[in-house]
Amino acid sequence: MARVNIKIKVNGKLQELGVEAHETLLDTLRERLGLLAAKYGCGDGECGACTVLVEGNATLSCLTLAAHVDGKDIETIEGLEQGSHLHPLQESFVEQGAIQCGYCTPGMIMSAKALLDKDADPSEEKVRRAISNNLCRCTGYEKPVKAILEAARRMRGEK
Amino acid sequence: MKNEFSVVGKSVPRIDAYDKVTGRARYCRDLKLEGMLHAKLLRSPYPHARVKALDVSRAKSHPAVKAIATIEEVPKVVGYWWNLRTEKGMKKMFMQDNVVRFVGDPVLGVAAEDEDSAEEALSMILVQYEQLPPVFDPVESMKDQTIKIHERGNIAFHVLKEYGDIEKGFREADFVIENRFVTSKQKHATIEPIGSCIADYSPSGKLSVYSSTQLPHWSRMYLAGALGLPSSNVRIIKPYTGGAFGGRCGLIHGLELMCCHLSKKAGRPVKMSFTRKEDFEATEGRHPFLVELRTGFTKEGILTANSIKIVMDVGAYATHYIGVIADALSTGVGLYRIPHVKFEGYCVYTNKSLNGAFRGYGNPQMNFAQESQMDIVAEKLGMDPIELRLKNYRGAGEIDPVFNEKILSCGLKECLFQGAEKIRWKKKSRRSSRRGKIRKGVGMSCLMHGTGARFGLPDPASAIVLINADGSVSLETAAADDGQGNKTGLVQIAAEELGIDWRKISVSDTDTDTTPLDGGTHGSRQTYCGGIAVRKAAAQAKKSVLVFASKHLNTPQNRLDIREGVIYDTKRPSLNISLADLMRKIQIEDLSLCEQIIGAATGVAPSMPPTYGAHFAEVEVDTETGGVRVLRLVGAFDVGKAINPAHIEGQIAGGEVMGIGYALTEGLVIENGKVMNSNFADYRIPRSCDIPRIDAVIVESHEPTGPFGAKGIGEATMIGTASAIANAIYDAVGVRMKELPITQEKILVALQSFNPP
Ligand code: FES
Ligand code: FES
Repeated sequence: MARVNIKIKVNGKLQELGVEAHETLLDTLRERLGLLAAKYGCGDGECGACTVLVEGNATLSCLTLAAHVDGKDIETIEGLEQGSHLHPLQESFVEQGAIQCGYCTPGMIMSAKALLDKDADPSEEKVRRAISNNLCRCTGYEKPVKAILEAARRMRGEK
Repeated sequence: MKNEFSVVGKSVPRIDAYDKVTGRARYCRDLKLEGMLHAKLLRSPYPHARVKALDVSRAKSHPAVKAIATIEEVPKVVGYWWNLRTEKGMKKMFMQDNVVRFVGDPVLGVAAEDEDSAEEALSMILVQYEQLPPVFDPVESMKDQTIKIHERGNIAFHVLKEYGDIEKGFREADFVIENRFVTSKQKHATIEPIGSCIADYSPSGKLSVYSSTQLPHWSRMYLAGALGLPSSNVRIIKPYTGGAFGGRCGLIHGLELMCCHLSKKAGRPVKMSFTRKEDFEATEGRHPFLVELRTGFTKEGILTANSIKIVMDVGAYATHYIGVIADALSTGVGLYRIPHVKFEGYCVYTNKSLNGAFRGYGNPQMNFAQESQMDIVAEKLGMDPIELRLKNYRGAGEIDPVFNEKILSCGLKECLFQGAEKIRWKKKSRRSSRRGKIRKGVGMSCLMHGTGARFGLPDPASAIVLINADGSVSLETAAADDGQGNKTGLVQIAAEELGIDWRKISVSDTDTDTTPLDGGTHGSRQTYCGGIAVRKAAAQAKKSVLVFASKHLNTPQNRLDIREGVIYDTKRPSLNISLADLMRKIQIEDLSLCEQIIGAATGVAPSMPPTYGAHFAEVEVDTETGGVRVLRLVGAFDVGKAINPAHIEGQIAGGEVMGIGYALTEGLVIENGKVMNSNFADYRIPRSCDIPRIDAVIVESHEPTGPFGAKGIGEATMIGTASAIANAIYDAVGVRMKELPITQEKILVALQSFNPP
């Protein structure tokens, strides 16, 4: 099978890897790099559990070939903590009780981060749209939406 | 009720939130063992067939293939805890033959060095099937004498119960109405697909299984029984679980037992993880019901008689079925004070993937029929639907006829009042807007749902509380947390009882080797059943602490108490010692003692208290497209006592949203035995954009048998959502939707044939 050599930056760390031509970014992260936070939920691009950031954009890693992200900057939830400090999104997900089983959480938080990095003060509607590809079967989206709005407030320096 | 609690009633954050929010939480699919093989199943392409011959020779010679186990070696597990109850039943639990009964029924499993090789090996296997005639419709299946899905016939179970004298009840009625309701096969659609495990069968006879099961201890018994091992040799380890809702309530068809056999043969650990498609096509779903109701009532709005007839589609194998129909019975007979009731139920096999436990366990189906019927009764009488409920519901102090037990707590009235107030029921002019293209309507429904399974199933709970030398506490419980947060709730209960900071308590992982017997996480039971055990164990530990403290402080034991980790004399608070100091003394410093304080409790909860609730929905229907938009939901629930209000709000929002799916979009479409919508594009579960404002109302009626007054909540939250939405749709456009899901097309068809009076 064809192998491709790629250089990607994952959570700030440069990785030089030989990957299969048909290998998904999700598999590369999980199988090669041991970054297990991005999850398999469907493999079809329909649940969002595998969402990571590629160049700051929320991306479904199950539909993305690793070979196609050569030279790109990848962020996963494993890279969000700064030292022992949680990212405001993580903090507010914990505090607002926005997590139940947690399986959708890494993907949902990454979708939210992509939004907040571009729009510091999104409306609730925008937040709902930003995570509309992230299926959650447990929370009913109520608390995650609140948590994202709260994180945005915090990131803007309000309270 | 009273709020003198230090941590019960507080929304403390979940104990597992940090792991989950940083991506550290490990789910079954994330685990790897040294030397692990990967397994895949060969599944039947036919809905009903006999496997005549299997040629695995080519697959066997594949260099990466390490083991193959076939349908002839690996039994199917059926009957679950009904069979668990007796020795004879246990034997019947393991079904072995060479017949496949639905499209996707496993024929064999292959374990190989990697998934691709396992997949490749599957394509090298030749199977000769003798096709058998299938039957898909449960009503046909009941009647059909020629097609036998199982040897003993197609009716897995029949129940007939009569309360009072049904004919007398109809004679006493001023009106009698008859309606027929149909419900769909909903899928759990947990975001971690159902079906992932690793079995590690050591040649020494010790078997370890990593599985996201809701029932660690029962799974251990099932596996031990199937493999002829002592239970003590089987260890079930449950990692984090990506949602369950009943979908992991037992062994998964074709999963754990297959992995055990493969691992035994290969002498290496074997992992198998189903794909999303396999989850949709071949794991359990919610039983579709056909419900026929005939209801008699007086012109004053008093229900006199109810005849309930249910045909329930079990699918190809009966796992959970008696309990599911029993829950329909419980709600159908128990919720309203109807003197004359006849309940008849048939659980029928069909050649479709199996159905099993799912949040509500037979109740959402029955509730949809019953609460739609109540709306029709109210309409007929020109009575407010809430008033009709208030006139007929069975409240505290009355006897539940199914369990023959007195109801000790019932906050249904408060749920109705507070919920109605929240949605401004009185202000919403019902039926007034039946004009124009977009029409609005409101609807409501009631429900009850027993907590746990005490009246019918083995329902144990246990806990061990260990106080450590530094005053910290280890809580050992097998209560499986699938995401609900029950472990956090149990920590709060232990902390409250012990009088210490909840952060000082750490809960064990769910592992049958280190935690005592537990009936599993189902039936909304962990806060109640698990909570009772934890509270007892904590009380026992506290008592032992006070015995030592009394000697040490030289003061009578009955004057001592613990608060914020300090043991003190209630009459003279200055006389005190911290728990940590005392523990260090008795565990380490006093060489004549060296004791650890241990509190332990095990047993069954004293009751099965119903949780009550009321759902309210406001919808908007587009009469041109048939599209429904849910504008607002209010869920009001009597939880006895909210141990952690944020968790309960989370359950309510999650349940209501799952209920929106059940109402409007969700149901497997099965044509000639084939699932036509086995992905999230075709099987639509609600997304963040589809969700209206949801208000959670928590009512606390204080259940005297519950820990600090608590009873269950998880399931109740979705039971009546579909009925409330259906009733709201009727209010908006005047068509009575009697079949779930209420799709756009169905509404359009109904509107076209609708002639407003
Ligand atoms: S796993 Fe990528 S979208 Fe579902
Ligand atoms: S928290 Fe379970 S799927 Fe979102």
